[in-house]
Amino acid sequence: MGKKFARNFFILGTAICTVVFIWLTIDTHTTIPKRTHTDQLSEEVILGKRVWHKYNCNDCHTILGIGGYYSPDVTKVYFMRGEAWLKAFLKDPESPDPKRRKMVNFHLSEDETTRLITFFKWVDGIDTNQWPPKPIGEGKIAEVESKSEPQVALGKGVFEKYRCDICHKIEGKGGMIGPELTREGSKRDALWLEQHIRDPKSHDPTTVMPPFPQITKGELNALVDYLINLK
Amino acid sequence: MVYESQKVAIKYFVISAILFGLQVIVGLLLVSKYIWADPLIGFLPFNTARAIHTNLLVVWMIFGFMGGTYYLVPEESGKELFSKGLANLQFWLLLLGGLVGVIGFLFRWTAGRPLLELPVELKWAIVLVALIFIFNVFMTMIRTKKWTAIQGLLLGGIVMLAVMWLFGIPFFKNLTLDYYYWWWVIHLWVEGAWELIAASLMAFILLKITGIDRQVIEKWLYVEVALVLITGIIGTGHHYYWIGTPRYWLWWGGIFSALEPLPILLMVFDTLNHVRHRKIEILDRLVLHWAVGCAIFHFIGAGVWGFIHTLPVVNRWTHGTQVTASHGHMAFFGAYAMTIITVVYYALPKLKGLKQYNKKRGFLVFWITTISMVVVGLGFGVAGVLQSYMQRGLGIDFLTVQGFMRPWFMAVLFGGFGLFIGVILYIITVFQLFLKKFE
Repeated sequence: MGKKFARNFFILGTAICTVVFIWLTIDTHTTIPKRTHTDQLSEEVILGKRVWHKYNCNDCHTILGIGGYYSPDVTKVYFMRGEAWLKAFLKDPESPDPKRRKMVNFHLSEDETTRLITFFKWVDGIDTNQWPPKPIGEGKIAEVESKSEPQVALGKGVFEKYRCDICHKIEGKGGMIGPELTREGSKRDALWLEQHIRDPKSHDPTTVMPPFPQITKGELNALVDYLINLK
Repeated sequence: MVYESQKVAIKYFVISAILFGLQVIVGLLLVSKYIWADPLIGFLPFNTARAIHTNLLVVWMIFGFMGGTYYLVPEESGKELFSKGLANLQFWLLLLGGLVGVIGFLFRWTAGRPLLELPVELKWAIVLVALIFIFNVFMTMIRTKKWTAIQGLLLGGIVMLAVMWLFGIPFFKNLTLDYYYWWWVIHLWVEGAWELIAASLMAFILLKITGIDRQVIEKWLYVEVALVLITGIIGTGHHYYWIGTPRYWLWWGGIFSALEPLPILLMVFDTLNHVRHRKIEILDRLVLHWAVGCAIFHFIGAGVWGFIHTLPVVNRWTHGTQVTASHGHMAFFGAYAMTIITVVYYALPKLKGLKQYNKKRGFLVFWITTISMVVVGLGFGVAGVLQSYMQRGLGIDFLTVQGFMRPWFMAVLFGGFGLFIGVILYIITVFQLFLKKFE
């Protein structure tokens, strides 16, 4: 193999790959409207994206898995937390456990908060090829249904998984947004709690607590058992 | 050194070294924020510090590449630089732009896109600097009597670097397209343009220190960069798995990026081969040490570490975790930091006309920085595997998992301190050489 052959290999190889890459790019563009439902990409969403850039959120948080790894990914945050929770959190992100990692309070205006949440709502709908993947371990919690001590421990896990502690305090640990739950078992029964977690507005239409429709039956049972035992 | 105008490279090397030091200091601050509650949150929160850390990286490396280019081009083309004045002007403009950028970050003047945080005005200013640079290099090269592959590919690299930068300037309304073209800057820089520049600089140094026939060195340089671009361009697809782009990227990206280690492996063999078949005694053992070490670390950090999590079945779980941070640190250090340090250890003494100087410290810097970087890489790596397993696999809450990762961030901090010491020693050497009178 001579130098000339090597040079031609370089020129030809690079040219072919560039052409293929551009062809793939064009094809990708044709799929974008459907995969990212651009019909819903409203002015409000774009303004929300500008808020996202303005406060450089992306250098702490990842979105679509890209960015800083210091803080949680926000791709699915709209689905995971819901609008009410996001509003409350963005208003006062520093409130939870002082020992935990904190978010800066940017003192967003009402408009900025709404726009940012609209942006998250749009991002939530992007077809990411099922990323982030569904955890393998999640099934295990749902399988346990029997009433026993481990059930209570599981419920504590569920409490932590959905980060109830950001708003609710138990034995001195947790946030101030929602009521303290240290003696919740002596105040409410299982049915009330179950309804309230599934749909908080059924009891109090003005509550800021988000509904948790994504919680599985097994998780909900465990969580209620845990709360009932707090007396 | 043969040409007077090569001397403009000196100040590029000096600034590059200082900014490297600053980058490491900010890095130590960042990892501390992972470990302890952050007292600086009001003044220098994580996002601002990260913007400074990554932009310092880019700027010190660009200074290094530019210095290297200004050293190489007159010698390769056999002509003095087209304009020393432009080279100096461009140096001060870039330094000013970099400083304004960093200070701007402290006051939240930012475009808010990771790694491309510079505000749009400064991005256009960088375009101006790049145009001056390319113009100056090009005007020098066209006066050459004989176009060499080394200068041709180097020019190709810096033009590609500038062109890809343009894709980072506009505001994108659609987040998916935003990240689609974001990778045209980030990926096609580090797995395209920068590889061309680094490979050309390294080929030049190997040519000089081994005395191997130019035809042989340039033939392999062509094969290397051909493979880099063939795998690297479509390999961009390994960033298009989960961002809203079509599923076929899992195949295109997966297959082509899995081949990306090949050209780097070839570089290792080339380097060793050239050294083995050297025509002249390699007098500068220090440069040899760095060149060989660079090839090997490049292969481990970029090739092996990249390959580990490039396939979609793995990446699904590791995407967006500290595994990426581990790869990023190892790859940038092996591929580019070590290349630039090799260039500086080769060129700076020559620019000062030194035949001999005490090289002991250079070896010390080599071992301290490489070992420290391995510790940093492994620390982030273990943290990332833990995170992938606990957070993605078991579905445990983000902050809870961060608690389990804490010891490994301590390891990163420990490695970071080592790196800091190594870099300080490096800066001292650069300054000592810089302050020496020309002999």
